Amino acid sequence: MKLSKGEMMTRRKWLASALMGGGLLLSYGALAVQGLLYVLPEQVKSKTRKLFAGQLSDFHEGKVKALFDLQGNQILVKRQADDLKAYSTVCPHLGCRVQWVESDKQFFCPCHRGVFREDGVAIGGPPADAGQRLAEVPLEVDRAAGVVYIEVKDIKRRS
Amino acid sequence: MAHADSAVPKKNRAARFAVLFPFDWDSVQHISAEPVPYHLKKWWFCLGGTPMYLFVVQVVTGIALTFYYVPSPDHAYASVAAITQHVRFGWFIRSLHKWSSNLMIVAVFLHMLRVYFTGAYRHPRQLNWLFGFGLLGTTLAFGFTGYSLVYEQLSYWGATVATNLMEAIPLVGPYVAYFMRGGPEVGEQTLTRFFILHIGVLPTVIVVLLALHIVMVRLHGVAEFTFPGDNITEENRFFRFWPEHATTEILIGVLLMYILTILSLIFPAHLGSQANPTVTPEHIKPEWYFYFNFRLLKLTSLNISVVLTLCIGLIALFWPFVETWLQKKFRLPDKASVIIGVVAFMGFLILTVWESFAN
Repeated sequence: MKLSKGEMMTRRKWLASALMGGGLLLSYGALAVQGLLYVLPEQVKSKTRKLFAGQLSDFHEGKVKALFDLQGNQILVKRQADDLKAYSTVCPHLGCRVQWVESDKQFFCPCHRGVFREDGVAIGGPPADAGQRLAEVPLEVDRAAGVVYIEVKDIKRRS
Repeated sequence: MAHADSAVPKKNRAARFAVLFPFDWDSVQHISAEPVPYHLKKWWFCLGGTPMYLFVVQVVTGIALTFYYVPSPDHAYASVAAITQHVRFGWFIRSLHKWSSNLMIVAVFLHMLRVYFTGAYRHPRQLNWLFGFGLLGTTLAFGFTGYSLVYEQLSYWGATVATNLMEAIPLVGPYVAYFMRGGPEVGEQTLTRFFILHIGVLPTVIVVLLALHIVMVRLHGVAEFTFPGDNITEENRFFRFWPEHATTEILIGVLLMYILTILSLIFPAHLGSQANPTVTPEHIKPEWYFYFNFRLLKLTSLNISVVLTLCIGLIALFWPFVETWLQKKFRLPDKASVIIGVVAFMGFLILTVWESFAN
């Protein structure tokens, strides 16, 4: 089929439609990207603050003591000899809250029956299969003063 | 100058209205006069209309619930409690909404089983299987987001587990999870997001998919089946949509209202204790339609169960094309799909029942 002169694609026409199409694509594309950023909230690194956890003498050898962070979540501190460790109660598997079971000396996650040893290492359920452990919460001991601090997420304050 | 309607006699109201609203009603009659194949005289072949009927119930009761529901972590639970305890007939509307959602999921599954085991998804109707599968996904997303809105302990922790689960999806997972939660963890943003997904985004998606689904059925015509003992002649091969088939659908609708009312009266929607982000309850469980996945999570590792679910889902979604490929490659007979279907469905059923009896 032979095209008439009016229907033929000339260089000028091609350029015009390429610019037009490209321009539309770019501008709507930019709009789409902005829209996507709009629904994905900005990742702000949350501030932390040091919290007074108690006197060193409050933490007894081999015992686990439950503290609370500023959101009311449990943090478990265990003393082994002179070594103190604080563990988050967020299960590394899917984010449920683990509980300390005193009789078994274990942490237990009710969601998928994950079990953790007192040093935070998973020994049962899906977290054990994945070789996970409870996250450690930064802890500081001021031996001179005999005081223990933990570092927790700060709560949002209205200024 | 004479007007176009000057020829219409003043008394003829219908004709005068037709001038004001120049719509071709004959074309509607033509479109709706779909020839219905013989086998649809049996009501159990009419299950495709059931989820749609239940969807209408969901829209009506859902709008009623939004009059009182407050989508904020501080007020959500209290507003649901108020609907359940103080608003006149609130408990009934909420129970209807709950039961209708459950029945809708059952109805979608039953409809899919019917389409699958009768081979109605095969050429040339592959596209409509995709749309239908999209409707299944949308229905499940409705169930998940809606349940989370109640903001009771189980639904809160369900949302936590599910969004963390999404994070394990390869490549897109972290973004999807971040989008769903509106941040790194389930919080203030999450509930608002689930709310707008539940009442704005998903309804739009489901209406578009439903329209496509029904248009496809109409364009291809309903797949015809014959059974031993059927006495099909040229005259009775099809019957009319209106009034014969419409009557069947109306009767099914009445039966559904009856079932919904009975269920809501005997088992009204329950309200657990308020969500507490600091304590996970002893026994947590998702809604029954996610039991299979929950059981899978307990049986295998996180990544395996997520990838496995994803693979099974993708194979099911593209099954019409996968089957053709298998048939070409391995000369798989048509009947093999029946065995595959039975095995897959039994697997789903076993995991679901297993989880429902486990504590």
